[in-house]
Amino acid sequence: MEEPTLRYEKIDFLGEGQFATVYKAKDAKTDKIVAVKKIKIGSRLEAQDGINRTALREIKLLQELQHINLIGLLDVFGQKSNVSLVFDFMDTDLEIIIKDNTIVLTPANVKAYMIMTLKGLEYLHQNWILHRDLKPNNLLINREGILKIGDFGLAKAFGSPTRINTHQVVTRWYRAPELLFGARQYGTGVDMWAVGCILAELLLRVPFLPGESDLDQLSRIFQVFGTPTEENWPGMKTLTDYVQFKLFPAQELRHIFSAASEDLIFLLESLLALYPPNRCDCTQALQMAYFSSKPAPSVGPKLPMPSNISKLEVEKPSLKRKLLDNIDGGSLAKRLQF
Amino acid sequence: MMPGRIGNISLANENPLGLSWHDSAWIPLLNPSNIMDYFSERSNPFFDRTCNNEIVKMQRLSMDQLQNMTGLEYILLHVQEPILYVVRKQHRHSPTQATPLADYYVIAGIVYQAPDLASVLNSRLLSAVHHLQCSFEETMSYSRYHPSKGYWWDFKPTKPGLGSYNSSQTAPKDVSSTPKEEPSTLFQRQRVDMLLAELVRQFPLPVTQTAPNQANGVTVKTEVSNDKNEKGMEGNLNNITIKQEPVDPTTSEMTNGSMQGQIEIKTEIKQENMKPPPEKKPRNL
Repeated sequence: MEEPTLRYEKIDFLGEGQFATVYKAKDAKTDKIVAVKKIKIGSRLEAQDGINRTALREIKLLQELQHINLIGLLDVFGQKSNVSLVFDFMDTDLEIIIKDNTIVLTPANVKAYMIMTLKGLEYLHQNWILHRDLKPNNLLINREGILKIGDFGLAKAFGSPTRINTHQVVTRWYRAPELLFGARQYGTGVDMWAVGCILAELLLRVPFLPGESDLDQLSRIFQVFGTPTEENWPGMKTLTDYVQFKLFPAQELRHIFSAASEDLIFLLESLLALYPPNRCDCTQALQMAYFSSKPAPSVGPKLPMPSNISKLEVEKPSLKRKLLDNIDGGSLAKRLQF
Repeated sequence: MMPGRIGNISLANENPLGLSWHDSAWIPLLNPSNIMDYFSERSNPFFDRTCNNEIVKMQRLSMDQLQNMTGLEYILLHVQEPILYVVRKQHRHSPTQATPLADYYVIAGIVYQAPDLASVLNSRLLSAVHHLQCSFEETMSYSRYHPSKGYWWDFKPTKPGLGSYNSSQTAPKDVSSTPKEEPSTLFQRQRVDMLLAELVRQFPLPVTQTAPNQANGVTVKTEVSNDKNEKGMEGNLNNITIKQEPVDPTTSEMTNGSMQGQIEIKTEIKQENMKPPPEKKPRNL
């Protein structure tokens, strides 16, 4: 077998997270551009399972998952004490697109993003896996306009009635109310809520519920959807972190999403139902009228790309050179040193 | 309006030409910068919420983006301050190409859809036919027939049927003509004040001339009024004919030059009041 470090030729530095550094690289075997995620060794505590836990989750789950709308794990290789994961290369993500003010997201674009997200998530849920960290930043998009759900660092199998989960999952703005109330047993609803928040953000182009603390997050949710009562959320008061909120009246979603069609409002209402069992699942959502009515979803190549993507080719070499200089002390070596 | 007459209620409900919309809270505040916001009010039946304008607004983007989008949009086509705005609904195909779909005019804050030519013709024809029909019906009511005399017209109003017809015709007119003194709106008052001020500015009152003559003026005026009783009609007629001619021999010495070219009806009336005294004073003195 070929030496993996020789197989992947480093092209570019893409970013650095808490657990890993990501490089853009070229697969010498297939000539494909890939993303190589080099897991940091981390502290002894993090590595007590022998490998960082988030990396382990990604490897464990993604190896068994194959779907066009899920990020593909192409390869895993170890070098010295490091582990590197090789993924499909994705040009951008939904957060960048949402924040790009030169892009107008037409109803057809929004529909296309939603279909791809829900299809990927439907596959995930059918395989009894919760993503637990859906946000625009984790919905990756490539040049062909294909959306793939990425970052499975918090993903976990669900459905075991005895297993206790942590409620400290999902970035706060996309966190479902039951998690904020400290629920330890939850289901696909937490992902559906996040999808609802992402849909709202696609429409408004700003985070829909940007809470500044967990309590503020709940308060913002109830200001829009009305404070739940024991009638419309049975058992709410038994949740561990339950606190009584001021009674807010529910607002009309069509006043907030003024340009949204009626079937889109209906989808939003089903995704963002306060009582988790009332929330629709992916299969139900995909069968709603919104996805079969006009306008048809944009086809991949017609989806907008941030303005810097096309310029990427021109601008990046200088940056790459600079980074390489820093990393490799000025040499022109292009091999990754894992 | 006429289209409502065409028939059933459902048609009148659906036909946008029979609709008008306004929000009285906005009307005093309307200006070219907020007219599109007014038009995009949720309750405006002429505004389609799924248009590009609303999408851009909801996404908090710049309205300049409209040029780059395709589909339904509204633009402010024409402004005639302070009362008239024309909004166009169009389908944009490219940054340079758009097909107009409908025009809406906002006059004194009330929004109407501008009718298409077919509707205008239809409505005019219908009203013409309607009035013809009415006149035929009325004419028929005056015709009389007797086997020995044949046909004849009877225009005497004493007949019970005709009398009631006439009275019903005249009575509402009187009622409707007398209580016509509606209070003017703030807008109307401001508008009239503005027009008057504009006229005064264009044709300033010749104050300097009248002031010194006022002492004599009192006596003169009585004479003038006496004259008017006798030859008022004459004088008026003369005045009118003079004004129609561009060259005015009597006024050429004292009127200011600006008036000669473009004398409006309203200004003429004003002059009528001003002219006679100086004209006659030289005669009396």
